[in-house]
Amino acid sequence: MVFSSTTFLFFYLPVVLAVYYLVPARWRNVWLFAVNLVFYGWGEPVYILLMVFSITLNYTAGLLVARCRETQPKKAKTVLVWDIVLNLAMLGFFKYYDLFAATLSRIPGLTVPVLNVALPIGISFYTFQTMSYPIDVYRGDAEPQRNYVRFGTFVALFPQLIAGPIVRYKDIADQLAFRAGGAEQFASGVRRFTVGLAKKVLIANNVGALWDVYAAKAPGELSALGAWLGAAAFALQIYFDFSGYSDMAIGLGRMLGFEFLENFNYPYLSRSVTEFWRRWHMSLGTWFRDYVYIPLGGNRVGLARQMLNILIVWALTGFWHGASWSFLLWGLYYALFLMLEKRFLGKLLEKAGVFSHLYLLLVVVLGWVIFNLTDLGAALGYYGAMFGGGSGLFSAFDLYALRSNAVILLLGALAALPLGKTLYWKLPERARNVLTPVLVLAALVLSTAYLVNASYNPFLYFRF
Amino acid sequence: MLKRSAFWQILIFLLFLGAFFVLHLALPDRSFSERENRSLQTAPRFTLSALFAGKFTTAAERYVNDQFPLRDDWITLKAAAELASGKSENNGVWLCAGDTLLECFTAPEPETLRAQIAHVNALSARAGVPVTLALVPSSAELWGELLPDGAPNDSQKDVIAAAYAAADCETLDLCAALEAHRDEAVFYRTDHHWTTLGAYYGYAALGPALGYTPLPLSDYSPHVASERFYGTAWSSSGFSWVKPDLLITYVNQGDARITNYSQGAAEVGALYVERFLEQRDKYSYFYGGNTPRLVVETGEAGERLLILRDSFMDSLSPFLYPHFSQLHILDLRYFREDLYDYIREQDIDRVLVCYSVHNFVEDTNLQTLAR
Repeated sequence: MVFSSTTFLFFYLPVVLAVYYLVPARWRNVWLFAVNLVFYGWGEPVYILLMVFSITLNYTAGLLVARCRETQPKKAKTVLVWDIVLNLAMLGFFKYYDLFAATLSRIPGLTVPVLNVALPIGISFYTFQTMSYPIDVYRGDAEPQRNYVRFGTFVALFPQLIAGPIVRYKDIADQLAFRAGGAEQFASGVRRFTVGLAKKVLIANNVGALWDVYAAKAPGELSALGAWLGAAAFALQIYFDFSGYSDMAIGLGRMLGFEFLENFNYPYLSRSVTEFWRRWHMSLGTWFRDYVYIPLGGNRVGLARQMLNILIVWALTGFWHGASWSFLLWGLYYALFLMLEKRFLGKLLEKAGVFSHLYLLLVVVLGWVIFNLTDLGAALGYYGAMFGGGSGLFSAFDLYALRSNAVILLLGALAALPLGKTLYWKLPERARNVLTPVLVLAALVLSTAYLVNASYNPFLYFRF
Repeated sequence: MLKRSAFWQILIFLLFLGAFFVLHLALPDRSFSERENRSLQTAPRFTLSALFAGKFTTAAERYVNDQFPLRDDWITLKAAAELASGKSENNGVWLCAGDTLLECFTAPEPETLRAQIAHVNALSARAGVPVTLALVPSSAELWGELLPDGAPNDSQKDVIAAAYAAADCETLDLCAALEAHRDEAVFYRTDHHWTTLGAYYGYAALGPALGYTPLPLSDYSPHVASERFYGTAWSSSGFSWVKPDLLITYVNQGDARITNYSQGAAEVGALYVERFLEQRDKYSYFYGGNTPRLVVETGEAGERLLILRDSFMDSLSPFLYPHFSQLHILDLRYFREDLYDYIREQDIDRVLVCYSVHNFVEDTNLQTLAR
């Protein structure tokens, strides 16, 4: 199930919230655990078993690690290693098996059967979440969780289950046992959720439709303006889609009394790639920093080793995004800029003023082209068109697309900056008090109209 | 203490979600949508096997969407919001000056067009009687200037020219015939069809090719069958506030005997079927809508004409009654007999293939002609 669907908004959520607040507090985790599984199993019921397996595996590993770590540290380490291997094997099989099979089959004389494994939704997110738990226990950063339902509630917690943020066990361990809740927190959850819904449904989906038009064109049909327009539309789409989803997750969490860490912090405002990755999908960056980069030695090693660490972490970060070699390439692309910035570019950018913003936007937008066009040839063709190698500078259609999407693009560009937030807080408190409920209602009504329209499907075979 | 603003935020949120949840359960389910012209999903039955086949959840989502309270009004709101944001398009329909709804045309791949024409050429080679091909443009071709500059509207004239260049049979330029009257109501504003007036100009243009002298327009006395015709473009668009079209007829059935084979067996048919005027799909007023085969015995002397139709023909064919003894109107989507046997058995003198360009390039049933 996804948040931006009528089924979620008008059936699942009202029922979940009503029962959650009607039952005694001690039953709330049990209720959440149950509805999490419904949420997860909605698309592919069989994968509930996979989820339960993952919960049980890591629950057991956590307890074993905790029991051994003082007295038999070696055994604790063995358990941890096996746990990590099993987690990664699960992720590897369900997410990457077919890619590897198809790639290996290209070697003459070798045929590896492609199984068309259906990707269990959210597996990349929850594998990382669950894996963090035994590691934190091993390191002494978290107490083991003896209550199976509480642990299961953490792993399958529906707000962040399928698209993050990646919540680490230690960050919400206390909240699993006790959540104060309260109306103020609920109201802030409402605001955050509505903002996220509007970002996803009103902005991301609309600019996404513009990108789809350009993505469907062959490089020879793309003009320079069109290619840039498409790339800009995609840059806005992915930001509002993803950060909107995180907003909705954080908002839903608050409605249920949880506080998750932030996942985005106006990334397009950055002045370097290094800064961008501190503002974009922060929970993933933190995860790789804490569980890969720092264990590899991080910055406290020789220069060559440090560069290697960056390369490893960003290759993994890229590859985490999907089972395609172009994601790996996209990660390495960023590794290159990060290394350059570490060596000398960073100092230069500090003095570059507005140019540092332009540099960052250029790197990111060009990066999205690799990210989005799943093969290298298509990406190169698209680059060609961006720099004048397509069908000229602009077409009448590009001007039309620009004109009819000007409002939404401008809105997107402004909303990607903290401008709205600043203005909002400059308003007198009384104005804010009146404005906020009105905005909440407006966002809900408009988003519903767009969601219902998306399912509108006139049968026009009778067009004949 | 809870601030008043926070209280209102929570109340609005919960009421909004809760109200539609309750309305959904309380309102009776609709089984058919007039506007979308399709059956709607009703409450799915829960079974474990349906659940694990993924059928239950898909049906449940469709159910929630299809039965969403005030569904049509939400579409209108979305269309209005698009308009407010500077887009004049919603769901593939453009709202243009004078309450005109236009659907842009996308040219087919050249090989698709070549394949379709090859099917018609196969017909021309095997029919044993003269074959005429006439392709009807849509309002987006004639009134394309009403669209915003640069809107993705390909030229239908070019597609028709390419099709005719590859055709081995006689072809007829309906673009020019309609263009001469582009300031008149030759197309509906809310529907993709031509009006009966547009069909008349088509009939007049076909005369020389089919061997008759068309009657002048002044011979007819137009009759307004409905003042509230909302067509398919209106249905898709959500621009619900535009004013409806007039549905006008020019020809009476007179002595013509019509046999409709809508269910396979012969039934007495009629040129106009009144009950469709009460429904949204008023264009089916002509002959009662899609059918595999219609036979019109006009009571006049003359040739027997076989027409391979799409719905554009429904408003044109009545004009042909005075000039032919029989019209055999076949729809390749539903007609399952062997066409060539049919032509021989029914002693057909001449074949007319008359389609809208849009349907011509998309219809996969033309390939039955080459079998």
